[in-house]
Amino acid sequence: MGSISRRDFLSASAAAGGTVALAQIVPGVWLSSAQAATAGFFESEFGINDGLCKRALDTALAKGGDFADLYFEHTISNWVSLEDGKVDRAFAGIDVGVGIRTVKGDQTGYGFTQQLTEESILAAAATAATIAAGAPTTSARKFIQLSLNNYYPLETLFTEISLSSKLPLLKKVNEQCFALSNLIIKVNATLHDQQKRIMIVTSDGVKAEDIIPRNYISASVVAEKDGKQERSGWNYGGRQAYSYFTPEIIDSLTHQVVNRAVILFEAKQPPAGEMPVVLGPGVTGILLHEAIGHGMEADFNRKGISTYATMIGKKVAEPFVNIVDEGITPHQLGSVNVDDEGVPGQRTMLVENGILTSYLHDRISAKYYQVKPTGNGRRQSYQYTPIPRMRNTYMLAGDSTPEEIIQSVDKGIYVEDVSNGQVKIGEGDFAFFVSQGKLIENGKLTAPIKDVNIMGNGPKMLQNVTMVANDLEMYHGGAGACGKDGQAMPVSFGLPTCLVKSMTVGGVQKQGA
Amino acid sequence: MSKEMMNLCEIVLKTAQDAGADDCRAIFVKRRFVEVQYREHKPEKVQEASTQDIGIDIYVDGRYVSQNSADLRPGALKEFVRNAIEAAKLLEADPYRTLPDPKYYQGRKEIDLQMLDPDYQKVTPELRHAMAKELEESCLQAGGEKAISVTSTVYDDYREESILTSNGFKGDIQSTICYAFAQMTAQDEGDRRPNGYHYAVDRSFKKLPPCEEIGRRAAARTLELMGSKKLATQTLPIIIENQDVERVLDGFLGAMNGWALQQKRSFLLDKKGEKLGSDVFTLIDDPFIVGGLGSSLYDGDGFATRKRTMVEKGVLKDFYIDWYRSRKLGVEPTTGGTSNLLLPVGKRSVAEIMKDLGRGILINGFIGGNSNSNTGDFSIGITGTLFENGELTQAVAEMNIADNHLKFWHKLAEAANDPWPYSNVQMPSLVFTDVVVAGV
Repeated sequence: MGSISRRDFLSASAAAGGTVALAQIVPGVWLSSAQAATAGFFESEFGINDGLCKRALDTALAKGGDFADLYFEHTISNWVSLEDGKVDRAFAGIDVGVGIRTVKGDQTGYGFTQQLTEESILAAAATAATIAAGAPTTSARKFIQLSLNNYYPLETLFTEISLSSKLPLLKKVNEQCFALSNLIIKVNATLHDQQKRIMIVTSDGVKAEDIIPRNYISASVVAEKDGKQERSGWNYGGRQAYSYFTPEIIDSLTHQVVNRAVILFEAKQPPAGEMPVVLGPGVTGILLHEAIGHGMEADFNRKGISTYATMIGKKVAEPFVNIVDEGITPHQLGSVNVDDEGVPGQRTMLVENGILTSYLHDRISAKYYQVKPTGNGRRQSYQYTPIPRMRNTYMLAGDSTPEEIIQSVDKGIYVEDVSNGQVKIGEGDFAFFVSQGKLIENGKLTAPIKDVNIMGNGPKMLQNVTMVANDLEMYHGGAGACGKDGQAMPVSFGLPTCLVKSMTVGGVQKQGA
Repeated sequence: MSKEMMNLCEIVLKTAQDAGADDCRAIFVKRRFVEVQYREHKPEKVQEASTQDIGIDIYVDGRYVSQNSADLRPGALKEFVRNAIEAAKLLEADPYRTLPDPKYYQGRKEIDLQMLDPDYQKVTPELRHAMAKELEESCLQAGGEKAISVTSTVYDDYREESILTSNGFKGDIQSTICYAFAQMTAQDEGDRRPNGYHYAVDRSFKKLPPCEEIGRRAAARTLELMGSKKLATQTLPIIIENQDVERVLDGFLGAMNGWALQQKRSFLLDKKGEKLGSDVFTLIDDPFIVGGLGSSLYDGDGFATRKRTMVEKGVLKDFYIDWYRSRKLGVEPTTGGTSNLLLPVGKRSVAEIMKDLGRGILINGFIGGNSNSNTGDFSIGITGTLFENGELTQAVAEMNIADNHLKFWHKLAEAANDPWPYSNVQMPSLVFTDVVVAGV
């Protein structure tokens, strides 16, 4: 619930630590066939066959409607955490259910149940059907199983990874953080994995099944110097196999988190006001997520409430600006083999050579605009209706070098790490919070800065991107989530180093004061 | 407490103890919720569903795990408990992790907090649709030609919770939440389409103000955002509207939390007893407000709740410390988090205060931003309206305020007479002097 004016991107780096308690499920206990292949899981475990799906869809369309769909889900989530030197807490959750939707034009009826019995499923379908009030529509007689590419293959199901094999990773994070600096006084580390199985069955005859993994290892440290404390957090993950958590990844994680905490003792909040902003590569892609991504979600445009509602086909940026939202980036957190409406994962150009090209569609908006769905119909779980959501949003590399870009700025700031952002869809005004960066003075990076909010306006910011470098980097975290209409969704993003010639930096004193 | 829910908690406890748990806490939650959303004079979305979820905390050999599941089939439940115990045994021991000392369960007040609408079962689909229609129509009417899109939502949630621990705690709550919401998007100059909203929430639909009033207010709040500009960076008095105060206060409250204190992530670490704000800055935590959105007779640990003064005339009096963190810190526990939070209201309205101040910014929304719990530095985007000679003159956007919590609350000059009723954090509008507002 809530206002569309709040679209939080929850901090990846803030996710580590004490709010999480954790856990592990011994494999194959709740599920007699945990090793089952993707296809057929819901039939073998819960007896969900095509006949039942057909009956449910017919019930959902008993009063008419354009189409109906079923979204079955079975999710196992585990967290295990270290605090004060001990891996002493674990949390596990298991969720199961089916969401049933009836769509008539842009109207949606929705019901869901956690009990996968015929009686409960048909009752939920009858709830969904109440959106319409006409003669029955019939569903397809046969369901064709989609053959999908797998952009996040697993060597081993997460349900087969033992808890005891996770503990040494966390111990290693702890040891390395303390070893890297004697300023470190606290270390928190968490290992999370989630294995979501889904099956989508639609009234127009599509059936799709997938296993969607999600995981991360996070570290968060507190450093102390001269009686003052600073903290930093970082994580690595996405839709990775467990073998991703190599010693090299642990090394990189611990170096990042310790170095970033220690440098903060020297950092200050920068001066306030408008100035050029250089965004370093990677996690700074949150800029695109807030400044353009949300505004391009087609539901906002269909309703005329996005600032981008009349801009398709128009020039919005310099010709060297190309922005993509794609579901097929291997192992990235926002990747989807198939979206939550049965549309295969794909790549969508938002901005091509500076021209605004396509919105991000779900089935409802695609029908409204009479275009093909773009595979952006996503939902947090069976308890929610699918809506247009981003996947992995990034800018393609340009021709400049990062050095050229920094050298071009006389006085401004360089952004290295961001923790969260938000956008007001209708105005296009957005903000993102810089947890770490540097001042740029006379074309050189100088004093470290921290803890400052940067404000801008999406369309204006796009016009103000004046240089793009050749060093595109994706964000490699697994802990981030985007919030919209009360649904948290894993997404990712990326950016090459780029220059925005003017944004408002929310510092503490006026420039030059 | 429903007998069925109680029985299930008892079964879980017994299963856990039979399987070797030293202690156990079971919580069983059932919910039913309905949502009706309108747009363009017809239902945009109608949703109805029920959920049930069992959670267990297991303590075995000084070790701890927590699990929850939506799968309540008896066989699955047994395996669920046994697996939790097996998982616990693989972890390292934590001497601080136990169920609370039962002495803190004692003294629970015996009053009716009226968390449940006794007539909730009589709420009909027709009522929900009629409310949603009225919200939409009144907002559209007040928005006039400027309105591009209006969406209204009526939502209600019935919740039952039963808790049982192996050391004698029993708790049960039945509650309802009823919510009415309208939001409007307006056509401004160029491609700007400001979005504003208003809502009300209470324990029953009957206690909400008329939908017509909520819809009208949503339109008015949207129109306030029209024609916004970014001003020059300057130092000004600001008034933060009642419903937005919580967003800034969160950074201060986060540092009062036992986890932040014990993990040395708090700028309030050694500040208890110190004066950290002006005399206006008083925070009362009151769990006993009848029908309050944060009201409860026991807290997350099962402790009997009590009213507490957290900050008194600027002096930090107390922290939010739960059982586990109290043991790690070696201090007495208080309570793990806020219930209802109050700041004594002032005598004057925002309009009267603006007349006195002359020039400043009335903040009606925040965007982005964050607060560093270690240093107290914060920076956050604002929307609002400039006032001059006591009159609202110019909408502002794309601006930002930044300060440090250890300085900022000293700038708190006055509280208005308008506590925000639709949250557990019932702040009045607050006036701060000499704040740097960043813009051009």
